[in-house]
Amino acid sequence: MPSDSKRITGPETTIPYHYYLSDFSRKPDFKDPKVGERKNGRLPNEHRPVFLKTGVNSQAKGSAYLEYENTKVICSVFDPREIPNKNEFSPMGELYCEFKFAPFSCIKRRGHIRDAEEKELSFSLRRALEPAVCRHEFPNFQVDIYVYILDSDGSDLAAAITCASLALADASVPMYDLVTAVSVGICRHLQFVDPTNEEEQLCKKTASAESIDPQAVITLTYMSTLEQVSEFTISGTIGVCHLEDKIPALIKHCNAIYPLLQQCLIKNVKKSLGKKKYS
Amino acid sequence: MASVLLNDAEKTFILHGVEVDLRCDGRRRGDYRPMELETDVVSTASGSARLRLANTDILVGVKTEIDVPYPENPEEGKLEFFVDCSANATPAFEGRGGEDLANEISSRLSRAYQSLPLAPLCIVPKQACWKLYVDILILECGGNFYDAISLAVKAALFNTRVPQVTGSFLDGGSVDLEVSDDPFQCWRLDITKAPVLVTLSKIGDNCVVDPTAEEETCSVASIVVAVLDSGSLTAVIKIGEGSVHEQTLIETIKTAQKIGVELNSSLMTALNQEESLGPKRQRFGFLK
Amino acid sequence: MDLISDQGLRVDGRRAGELRRIRCKLGVYDQPDGSAYLEQGHTKVLAAVYGPHQIRGSRTKALQDSVVINCQYSMATFSTGERKKRPRGDRRSTEMTMLLKQAVSAVIKAELYPRSQIDVFLEVLQADGGNYCACVNAATLALIDAGIPLREYVVACTASLANGKVPLVDISHLEETMGGPNLTVAALPLSGQIAVMEMSQRFHIDHLEEVTQLALQGCRDIYKILDKAVKEHLLETGDFFPQLESN
Repeated sequence: MPSDSKRITGPETTIPYHYYLSDFSRKPDFKDPKVGERKNGRLPNEHRPVFLKTGVNSQAKGSAYLEYENTKVICSVFDPREIPNKNEFSPMGELYCEFKFAPFSCIKRRGHIRDAEEKELSFSLRRALEPAVCRHEFPNFQVDIYVYILDSDGSDLAAAITCASLALADASVPMYDLVTAVSVGICRHLQFVDPTNEEEQLCKKTASAESIDPQAVITLTYMSTLEQVSEFTISGTIGVCHLEDKIPALIKHCNAIYPLLQQCLIKNVKKSLGKKKYS
Repeated sequence: MASVLLNDAEKTFILHGVEVDLRCDGRRRGDYRPMELETDVVSTASGSARLRLANTDILVGVKTEIDVPYPENPEEGKLEFFVDCSANATPAFEGRGGEDLANEISSRLSRAYQSLPLAPLCIVPKQACWKLYVDILILECGGNFYDAISLAVKAALFNTRVPQVTGSFLDGGSVDLEVSDDPFQCWRLDITKAPVLVTLSKIGDNCVVDPTAEEETCSVASIVVAVLDSGSLTAVIKIGEGSVHEQTLIETIKTAQKIGVELNSSLMTALNQEESLGPKRQRFGFLK
Repeated sequence: MDLISDQGLRVDGRRAGELRRIRCKLGVYDQPDGSAYLEQGHTKVLAAVYGPHQIRGSRTKALQDSVVINCQYSMATFSTGERKKRPRGDRRSTEMTMLLKQAVSAVIKAELYPRSQIDVFLEVLQADGGNYCACVNAATLALIDAGIPLREYVVACTASLANGKVPLVDISHLEETMGGPNLTVAALPLSGQIAVMEMSQRFHIDHLEEVTQLALQGCRDIYKILDKAVKEHLLETGDFFPQLESN
């Protein structure tokens, strides 16, 4: 396509104006919220409302859309196809995961090429889903999973994993169990289940180099029926003692989301059965 | 990963060995293989270290460059990890064959190293900072990459000497820096906040530390835990395609944390010991 | 600054016909079939040889009457003064890979292993001039360590011409950057054959003879060093060759 020579091209690198706003605090110092209440009125261990929908993309074999208030994720799963560029036979099927932020999803514009963070999240996504999929059912084939974050407001990875698991089920990929994921942010004595972007920033930033206070974001992926943890990541600094009670708490949250996925799938099946009756 | 071919009988043999706490090379479940560490082996780098953990050979070089800080962190320096899987390790790494593994390792490392304070690397806020390139070269693979790499990286950072900036002039919006070219006029990084990674591989019902390449193929899931001197954790990573039970996860992390603290202190002892030999110590490099 | 002073000394204190110190070791690693480490002054190189083995990848590459030789030259990102962005894949590396393949192909008895492949991988850990020479020399050692039949050693050396009249041998990085031509020769020192010859910049054709002769002399000198190292290595690793001890 010939480029428009009269058009003024933008600079190669741009900086979002937000960084220069006086109230843009890179280290958001939360007024110690009254114990028991967060900025958005949630309780520390309250998850945001969950909205799920399957079959949103007609071109894909299976797809799902998930919303945690401002975190919006869409995921498409495509039919198994032969693994490209591979010579040897692989006895297990493979999952190809692509985790992508929409260019407009974050404060800073995301490029179209996956950056290091997106690649890392893709790895995590794959690790989280692999144990749940019956990969021996499609040897030498791969299932493509594309996760697109439309709007990022914290807990992106957790939302992506849950959404992808729903999309896989919608695509009728054989699975041992559904996986659900939940994040928790920890900052000193505060904890935020399902943190928003602002809360995540607070938990990620090391307040002072000397502090030994825990500051971390933990994401746990769980298969409720099998009682297995399929992926577990921490970023930040935290002592072991804090983990011991956080892990069971996270599992409880994962178990709470699990029936929502089931319901969504059942509704779908009923709908498609109903259609058949009349056709 | 390096291609290790094991048949079922061999796998069972390893599994049974782990069960009775006697592994194929005579170690117990909690034992590391012998390690060799030498710092300052590459003179073109600001800091370097070579670590040999039985058959795993890692060479790390740290280079310093002046760069502009990220607009979102104007008062911090930059740290970048780059992993290169040399074809010397296995022909599978030829060309771009090792790239996937390399990307995975480098992204995990940068996550674990988020705890390292980067503020000292800032020279002029918003204008200039030091960028540390930590380049990791995998020369031979005999299992347990993460532990070996993290130890080598920590040793290389310990060995890194960042030149002193003797003057800075503001020249119409851009900064001119005067960097000392005296090799002795330099400062060193504080590495107390640099973690080491401890891998625990679940084989059968038990976990082993420092798995060999053969043991890695027998394991369905491994937990890598990044541990600081103080015992705090900076990252937990699951590798392998399996999953673990909640209780196993907690137990594994606890064990790894204890081992990590020990590993940290023995690494520091070794580094200080080498340091005390003075600058004229004999360097062995690859000739030993 | 001159490449050679009036007293006949070079920038690093060597005489015109003097090599840098060469230290080497065979059998550094267990996993490859053959490996070697070689230091030439501050240039440090690791070589690994895999094979002969079945052709990897597509079978169509296989040759019916000889072995496929596969080389890869790569440089550690921290090996040079300025950090390299990529360890391999740039034009210089691809060219080096090609020249390396030429050099080792000249000595390997390719006809002995039809439908097979030999991999030669080189990794430059620290670069201080003469990278190609160090690589060829290390590759020879690694091939010997792997037990691959060779016609003879292939040895490489550089030479230059200082002040338009004095030939120099084994050029360092500093001498490379200070200017002056650079003649690289990979030779089979016993039979006096030349496998690869490459030159950058120019000098008068009258000097070509003596510069080439000096480079070849350098090759012969390096050959002696390498041969000694191989013999010592064999004595160390086993007592299969008692007759060597009398040499």
